[in-house]
Amino acid sequence: MDAAPGAERLAIARSEVNRACGLLIASTPEALQNCQKALRTALSELTAFRSTAGEGPAAAGARKVTAALQSDVQLAGSLLRNLANFYKGWERIQGIVGYTANGDPSAVARRGRICCRG
Amino acid sequence: MANLTASLLSAGGTLDAYTQALGVVQNNVANASTPGFAAQSQTFDPLEFNPNEGFPGGVQAGQVVSSRNEYAEQAVQQQTTLQGQAQQDVNSLTSMQSLFDVTGSSGIATAFNNLFSAFSAWGQTPDSSVAQQNVIEQANAVASAFQQTATGLDTVAQNTQQQLQSTVAEINQFSSQLAGFNQKIMNGDRNDPGLDAQIHTTLDQLSNDGSISASQQADGTWTVLLNGQTPLVMGQQVFALTAGTVAPAAGSANPNAPPQLSVLAYDGRDITASTTAGQLGSILNLANHVLPGYMGDGTQPGSLNTLAQSFAGTVNNLLTAGYQSSGPPPVAGVPLFTFNNTNATNVAQTLQVSSSITPDQLAAISPGPPAVSNGVPLALSQLASPTTSTGEINGLSYTQFYAGMASNVGTLLDNANSNLQTQQAAVAQAQSVRQQLSGVSLDQEATILIQFQQAYEANSKFISVLDQLTEDTMNMLPNT
Repeated sequence: MDAAPGAERLAIARSEVNRACGLLIASTPEALQNCQKALRTALSELTAFRSTAGEGPAAAGARKVTAALQSDVQLAGSLLRNLANFYKGWERIQGIVGYTANGDPSAVARRGRICCRG
Repeated sequence: MANLTASLLSAGGTLDAYTQALGVVQNNVANASTPGFAAQSQTFDPLEFNPNEGFPGGVQAGQVVSSRNEYAEQAVQQQTTLQGQAQQDVNSLTSMQSLFDVTGSSGIATAFNNLFSAFSAWGQTPDSSVAQQNVIEQANAVASAFQQTATGLDTVAQNTQQQLQSTVAEINQFSSQLAGFNQKIMNGDRNDPGLDAQIHTTLDQLSNDGSISASQQADGTWTVLLNGQTPLVMGQQVFALTAGTVAPAAGSANPNAPPQLSVLAYDGRDITASTTAGQLGSILNLANHVLPGYMGDGTQPGSLNTLAQSFAGTVNNLLTAGYQSSGPPPVAGVPLFTFNNTNATNVAQTLQVSSSITPDQLAAISPGPPAVSNGVPLALSQLASPTTSTGEINGLSYTQFYAGMASNVGTLLDNANSNLQTQQAAVAQAQSVRQQLSGVSLDQEATILIQFQQAYEANSKFISVLDQLTEDTMNMLPNT
């Protein structure tokens, strides 16, 4: 076997990670679910590539593509961290504000917080 | 009959309320493409229903509520600040990198190589006037390359100073616009969706320039702070920034070095140190930290001047230690290069071949003992790959030291490009989240939050494994 299938797997892995980045940018709940699928596919393609890596003439060029893939993975990680920070802050603000959908004070959900009723 | 009239009046009032609601919807549709616009909704307040007392019930139009989520707005502004910083880094470093050509076709690296070759050729025919003339010409090329690089860096520094002034002017202009919007709010336009859109568009633009915090006051006006502590706008009042320069202190090592750039708050307070984000932060970082590393400042000569001074000094020392002729009496060599030795930050800019030197004054004979007829050109040509500490800076040859300078700019630019790509995605993401959260209820917010938390864990694990696996794969693959 030549190295083409391996290179293709790497290309698919990168394409899936790029798709995951797009989904993280969209960041709807549905997009985040699909993001998991994209990342899972990328992971399985990369694992399959590794079993053939180092074989054939394309192995040398694969390092460059892998470096680009790593950069894309890091971008995905950065986008996910941004979302996490955003929602963490949002949750904290809601906890501080302490209101319910009806406008009533919410129960104190966190230790160390004081809720005034009156 | 009274009840019928009351019912008709109630129906009429309700129709009026719904007419207002339709007006709000119509306005939303009309402004669908307006930058910064957030949809509004009409609330309804129930009226008392007690027919016996003459209260017919129904509804009346309540407040018009904006769907804007200020927390999401702030997230967009924060990411925009980082994007503005990355974009400015890329712009500045791109112009810097063009001054450090390492491809071998121009610049200091090429001039060094040509001069070392000329030294080598002179060493083979130490009495050749052609070889001596070639040394003078290539030395001129080295001096010229240093001058061009220094001039280029000086131009970058001047452009940076102009960019600082224009960015500060832009911040002050945005602040004035916001103060004008505050005036309109105080005049009763608080619920004007067009005004609200203008305010948020201006805040987004302002956040590109620096790290801002915008908060709405009880009277509806906006207060804007820079770096979380320096006021830019409060009510109708603008607190203008000023761009300035700070000359090196009188007692500093290089009192004639180029000045540093500064930003002053409205009260004259220097806020340069706290201004690290946005376009403004990038400009100040380039002017006060990156460029001085090359051009020098009050405390350091800068790597370009260090290289110029060390190289010219070593060449001059070798030549002046040699003899033009063995005599008797022997005639000592003369220095090849001259430069301004009273200002360590101006060496590269003033480096030149001595105007009085002639080719036959180049000293080739090393006095020894034993004297060697081509000892000096051989020692000069060995500067290309020195075997002793002579001709080295921090253990590096001149060529390696220069390559390190060029590589440093290249690395900074690569990082800036990578940051810019990340920030462009981050801004798009923050805008997308802002759009999603526009107008959702608290219940929907809670649902989104839970869905995110569920998705986060799985996505985070996949990314972590992928990151490790790509790293392992990189180590597994051949380099070439």
